[in-house]
Amino acid sequence: MLLQVRQLTKSFDDKTILRGVDLDLAEGQLKVIMGPSGCGKSTLLRCLNRLIEPSSGQVIFRGKDVLQPGTDVRALRQQIGFVFQQFALYRHLSALHNVTLALRKLRGMSVREAHAKAMHELGRMNMAEHADQYPAQLSGGQKQRVAIARALAMDPAVLFFDEPTSALDPLMSREVVSVIKQLQLDNVTMLCVTHDPFLAKSIADRVMFLDEGVVRAEGTVAEIFGAHADPRIRDFFAHEHSAA
Amino acid sequence: MTGWLSFFQDVFEYWPQILGGLGNTLLLFAIVTVTGLIGGILVFYQALSPNRHVRRITEGYISFFIGTPLIVLLFLMYYGLPQTGIHLSPLAVAVIGFTMNVAAYNARYLMSAYNGIDASELEAARAQGFSTLQVFRLVTLPQTLRLAMPGLTNQVILNLKDSSIVFLIQYTEFFAQMQELAARNFQYFKVYLLTGLVYLLLVSLVVLAARWLERRVLPAACRT
Ligand SMILES: Nc1ncnc2c1ncn2[C@@H]1O[C@H](COP(=O)(O)OP(=O)(O)OP(=O)(O)O)[C@@H](O)[C@H]1O
Ligand SMILES: [Mg+2]
Repeated sequence: MLLQVRQLTKSFDDKTILRGVDLDLAEGQLKVIMGPSGCGKSTLLRCLNRLIEPSSGQVIFRGKDVLQPGTDVRALRQQIGFVFQQFALYRHLSALHNVTLALRKLRGMSVREAHAKAMHELGRMNMAEHADQYPAQLSGGQKQRVAIARALAMDPAVLFFDEPTSALDPLMSREVVSVIKQLQLDNVTMLCVTHDPFLAKSIADRVMFLDEGVVRAEGTVAEIFGAHADPRIRDFFAHEHSAA
Repeated sequence: MTGWLSFFQDVFEYWPQILGGLGNTLLLFAIVTVTGLIGGILVFYQALSPNRHVRRITEGYISFFIGTPLIVLLFLMYYGLPQTGIHLSPLAVAVIGFTMNVAAYNARYLMSAYNGIDASELEAARAQGFSTLQVFRLVTLPQTLRLAMPGLTNQVILNLKDSSIVFLIQYTEFFAQMQELAARNFQYFKVYLLTGLVYLLLVSLVVLAARWLERRVLPAACRT
């Protein structure tokens, strides 16, 4: 198991957001996390690479509890590619340099090596011909593909996505979905938060439903999307479908 | 037009001193432009500290130096400090005084530019595994420097013009030498007209250099 989360909790001041979340992610698996707005999905992802400090619990990544004191947090983060809803490309850098920055400054690659690696990853995302463009010159779907290339370039053990398609129109969203499907064929391990039923159905091996800070249900796409026994889950999907 | 010929003869005779003064003006200008920018960046970095006390002290520093006339600071150091046994040369006082003052202004410009940058990019950089200092150096600073460019270049122009006050602490820069010339030939109008024109010329050069730099540093995509 690549990642095992046990009884993870997170409170902000007196507000408890996560109340004991358990999660397993195997190598090569793609798990989707769904759930109502504000239920703590983004918080959960950020707790796993300690962008947010969890309050308690265990996050066992490659056999080690990374919440233990003495953990090299920066080394941990370098093994986890993070893709954001708003792309978060460095706007002062071209697509190419967005990808090379960490290779040069964190991996210590030469300009030439980093360039070659970045062009390879941009090529995988069908973005090679846009390498010299700045984020402001790219469409949303193109930006997200550059962001994925940036994450992949570090050869991460796992990719986290936080609603990768929700800032995109349906057409651009499809571009990103097909890219994620491609990664799935390449056996990339992924954890993907989304509201987008199309994305979830297209890609998920397993779906986890988070609600009020706990895992309310987990199962295959068919189990979660079908007529689920839990009325809250049925309501959620009825609502999402009408919204989408 | 009478008098201009003899005036230029005076200028010519006094030329070595004028040139020396101009050299001192440019020396001070060059030093404080660099130290003021570096100082401004350091103060700005402190202003982003996660430590509340550090932030408050930094705010205090900026408010103090923006709120205090520079000339008072220069007099305090040049005429006041010797009473405590500390003697500094006019150049040292000028460099220290200007650097502290200019750093405060530059930090202010950088801090307001910081409001224009996207927090999600900083989070992305942290998520990639960059250290706090790397995030600052690789993402925050390049972006804030670009956004603050108009304020920062304006400050460079002020550095040049404001350097003329340091004659008051016996630093013999250009303006001091021109006053000396006027005291000799009593041609106040012509001397100060020429003085003004020379400053105008220098400022124009700085403006041209700044425009060039802005064009170089701000790629088309970032000019929003
Ligand atoms: N730094 C913070 N301080 C205090 N409260 C926070 C903080 N970050 C998030 N929260 C709160 O935690 C709750 C969960 O937020 P989170 O962003 O994880 O939800 P989410 O499931 O990702 O929602 P969405 O689907 O809208 O993205 C929200 O109520 C939010 O207001
Ligand atoms: Mg969220």
